Amino acid sequence: MRPQLSRSSAVLATAVISALALSACSSDPEPAATGPTEGGTLTYASGDAEPTCLDPHVGGNYPQALLATQFLESLVSRDADGAIIPWLADSWTVSDDGLTWEFALADGVTFTDGTPLDADAVAANIAHLQDPATQSSTGYLAVEKVTSVEAVDDLTARFTLSEPDSALLESLSQPWLAIESPAGLERGIEENCESPIGTGPFVVESWTKQDRVTLVRNDDYTSAPADAGHDGSAYLDGIEWRFIPDSASRYAALQSGEVDVIDNVQPDVLVQAEGSDSLVELDAPRPGATNRLELNSGTAPFDDVNVREAFIRSVNVDDAVSSLFQGTAERSSSPLASVEPAAYSDESLFSFDPEAAGDLLDEAGWSETDADGFRTKDGERLTLTFPVSTNQSIPAEISLFEQLQANAAEVGFDVQLELLDLASWYEALGANEYDLVSAPYTKVGPDVLRILYHSDGITPAPSGYFANHAQVDDPAIDTLLDEASATVDDAERTSLYEEAQADVLEGFYILPLYDQQNHFLLSTDVHDARALGTVSTPSFADAWLS
Amino acid sequence: MRAFIVLWASATLVFFITRLVPGDPAEAALGGPGSQASEEAVEAVRRQFGFDQPLVVQYGIAMLSLLRLDLGSSYALRQPVATILLDAVPGTLVLAVLALLVAWILAIGLTLAQSQGSRIAARIGDTLEIVASALPHFWLATILIAVFSTALSWFPPVSTGTPTGLVLPVVTLAVPIAGFLAQVMRGSLQEALDAPFATSALARGETRVGLRVRHALRHAALPALGLSAWAFGYLIGGAVVVETIFARPGLGRTLLSAITVRDIPVVTGVVLVSALVYVILTLVTDAVTRLVDPRTAVGGR
Repeated sequence: MRPQLSRSSAVLATAVISALALSACSSDPEPAATGPTEGGTLTYASGDAEPTCLDPHVGGNYPQALLATQFLESLVSRDADGAIIPWLADSWTVSDDGLTWEFALADGVTFTDGTPLDADAVAANIAHLQDPATQSSTGYLAVEKVTSVEAVDDLTARFTLSEPDSALLESLSQPWLAIESPAGLERGIEENCESPIGTGPFVVESWTKQDRVTLVRNDDYTSAPADAGHDGSAYLDGIEWRFIPDSASRYAALQSGEVDVIDNVQPDVLVQAEGSDSLVELDAPRPGATNRLELNSGTAPFDDVNVREAFIRSVNVDDAVSSLFQGTAERSSSPLASVEPAAYSDESLFSFDPEAAGDLLDEAGWSETDADGFRTKDGERLTLTFPVSTNQSIPAEISLFEQLQANAAEVGFDVQLELLDLASWYEALGANEYDLVSAPYTKVGPDVLRILYHSDGITPAPSGYFANHAQVDDPAIDTLLDEASATVDDAERTSLYEEAQADVLEGFYILPLYDQQNHFLLSTDVHDARALGTVSTPSFADAWLS
Repeated sequence: MRAFIVLWASATLVFFITRLVPGDPAEAALGGPGSQASEEAVEAVRRQFGFDQPLVVQYGIAMLSLLRLDLGSSYALRQPVATILLDAVPGTLVLAVLALLVAWILAIGLTLAQSQGSRIAARIGDTLEIVASALPHFWLATILIAVFSTALSWFPPVSTGTPTGLVLPVVTLAVPIAGFLAQVMRGSLQEALDAPFATSALARGETRVGLRVRHALRHAALPALGLSAWAFGYLIGGAVVVETIFARPGLGRTLLSAITVRDIPVVTGVVLVSALVYVILTLVTDAVTRLVDPRTAVGGR
């Protein structure tokens, strides 16, 4: 029942080693043969928004995670197979009732300000995430069930939970829950935002707004995660982390040698770069949910499952993906990213069948057609409002939506695409003014399903945000997700999540498109860079320049 | 006084427009739109920035602090707006001043070149100007990068902190403005050359070049000079695009990211600085016009 499993492992494994494998694609010697060279500064160009605070505890978004990966570390990590592995914590145990977790910390680790990593430091970090003054969003949500953290001894931290949380380890592996120096946190939000202090392979030296963050090597680095290529300090002298928002400029800068690595590589650039023998691609799809259209089942016309199925059958996603992403993205039919071992997919539900779509609409009472060719019911046109965030959807994806809009029109759907900036887009969602939406969600592990499809997720947070955009309100799904969340046994948990995914797919609440795309291009001079198995952020702890 | 009214009106407009557009500014402080922060955190931020007050009270407080020259603090960046602006202004100013300078040089060159030549030269010049003034910045920037960075490797495609990094962004900003300036200048140059004083100057033995450089250009420059203050406003708008494409720090990029997250104090700050510069430049161009054109100085108003 898990057709995705073997493929997903293969994808991630490929991603992780592609820097190695592809750089040696011709008859070049294996990088290992020459061995890593010490020294040199790597220049990274990020197309993500510049963070407003470098401490990922504050707020908590992907741009912060990208940078934090270079200088902060978490209690645990996740390897290429999706298994949780030791990092700052050497080992851990959980009580039978699932309410008490004990983490044994790695010995002899110090933060770059000299503060030792101990159980009190871990307690201070969880307290920091839970303190409203920190203004945390992502991290605060992830430790919602943690009621207290106490030091059993110097190197043993005991977490007490209000209810069992099978996602605790996955949550703690994320950069938004990284462990920072308590002395650093005490400096206050302004100063800590400028230069958070961690245990990572690099240290924040300076941050020139709108330009770059300069990172230098942590010479005393000892705390590599269990799947790292080597122990001890990084080979690079440092990283110049630049912010280059424009996709074409970023690629031009890479071609001219101004920078060594770029992220957010768009499909057209990937295709251009394919022929180059001086560039290597690193494909590291993000964990959590796939990119998918969510069909708002809370209001008409999508409160009728037949209309939802009719829409899904009316659009030819496969053709649109292959023509617009030019082979750089693979079609998904799962709610979960292919890197998630628990991902369950069912292709048969998403085949393109306009005829069946028409019949379903007839059945649902949308049987009349108006002068423009759109279906009507009681004189009302079958209109779908589709707000699109220009911040979250890349140009290729917006073109894809336009193509789907044209497909759906053939069957009689009047899809109204609205291109909005991020704040207006969230406002439209908060006001329930949407029938269709594409809202990516990144989180380590299948617990993202609870956030996205549990009926609790329909109630907006105090800020107005809610995650269950499909407005799935099904007691059976709720029960499965609650049970999975309380089940520590891996196999049992996975099968519960698979059942929940099957229910979501069969209810036609979502139309999966592809993994959250996360492509990097690297100069062939860069070796042994990899993406972490957690949120697929790049790590340069093992990287070296030739 | 007029300058003060311009600034007050700008501040008021920004205050209300930023509150009319969708989006909760409290989220700017909580990790941007879509924040899922706790109730306590959201309330703390609302209290801290006074969003819990009625709009009129918020407006009053905002205007009073502006009177005290206090621009407030950024919601998102947790820094005084003044600090953020001080960091951003130099980059944009260098870009704008250089672009204006290059635009003037290009425009004068283009105008003189055409006035010498035949009708065909004038036609070509005319077309060139219209095309140049209509070029969108993003298109021009992309072409310049493709030609001069990717193909020829003469200049870096992104800011490098060296003068060579300035070339492409400056040219991108200068070309459309040069088109505008040249169009305006050429018309008045032709008028000046047709004027009686030109004939008499030639009769006194002035060379053709001398006539243009010493006498006619002065007339031609006047309307273009008046355009320069306007051009500066246009440059600030162009800076949003050019700074983003060439990855240069500056006011334009500050404005763009502030608008994205509804960081109202920063938006207000950028608009006020732009308005202030516009006011100053208008005063300066007026003064320079008086210097160049004795009629305005003597006649006065």
